[in-house]
Amino acid sequence: MLTVEGKKQVLEDAGYAYSFDRLSYINRHARKVFSIEFVQDNSEAKLKACINQPTAPGEWKFYFNLEPSDSVKREFLRSITR
Amino acid sequence: MTERTVVDRLRAEYFTLLPDAWRILEELEAEVRHCLLPLLNKLDKHEKLTVTSRIKDCESALGALRRRQEGAVFDPDRADKYSLKDLNDFAGVRVLAFPRSRWIEADDLLRQHSQFALWTSDPVRVRPNDVEAEPLAFKYYGYCPRNTALRAELQIAPMLIGLFWEVEHSAIYKPSPHLKGVLAGMDERTIKVYEALKDFESEFERLIRRDPLKVKRKKRKKKKKKRVR
Repeated sequence: MLTVEGKKQVLEDAGYAYSFDRLSYINRHARKVFSIEFVQDNSEAKLKACINQPTAPGEWKFYFNLEPSDSVKREFLRSITR
Repeated sequence: MTERTVVDRLRAEYFTLLPDAWRILEELEAEVRHCLLPLLNKLDKHEKLTVTSRIKDCESALGALRRRQEGAVFDPDRADKYSLKDLNDFAGVRVLAFPRSRWIEADDLLRQHSQFALWTSDPVRVRPNDVEAEPLAFKYYGYCPRNTALRAELQIAPMLIGLFWEVEHSAIYKPSPHLKGVLAGMDERTIKVYEALKDFESEFERLIRRDPLKVKRKKRKKKKKKRVR
């Protein structure tokens, strides 16, 4: 497992930016969100697999340790599109 | 009428808790000052020991609770599951000591006090998982005898690090929006600052022949001797 610094690089190379407000890595183009907890607790291989997973058109994918409820997802997206 | 949001509810809770928090803070600060009197009375002229206290302001308290949620958002459909009583540091007292040997003595004195002996230790570390390394500061949290609803925090830090944090925290934890990107890569530099401050104090103490580790070692030796007897 890479250090958080190494995993951070993997995400940044894939176009993810860290949000200090949401404590998450977000890629608006890929429509994906990785919580910092998920990044810390999973391997580089797992992160790369998640980065490469397809996303359904118009949908966002959340990679959290605990699957967020629909209301949390809505609130999260509302906060980053404000 | 629009429904109250999670944040609205927490703001209301904040002001309900505030009078109790002030009472806890006064009691805690008095207790800490009392415990430290023997040390305060024997400080040399170049040595310093300060005790400060604060109640977390409303927005900081809400922010701290929000950051504890994955993705740092409150679930609007489960507003009742959040409470500021879950924070460990709603009220807090900070002890700053210079030089390091006095920091260790202050911690020893406070830890021996019956109230704090029962509190949970949660030391501040450079890297949270590196439990072998000496902490940057000692930290404890728990309940004061007269209130078991709100937890309070006691932090004992080397003065140079504590003063550095006053600037660093306001820049990094509560950044202005335009600074956020700039501060992303500050971790390594912050660690260098800690090392430099520690170096400064170690050299200072070496020069005045007061090595904090020596004090600890002496105490351990004394304890060992007692056990042998």
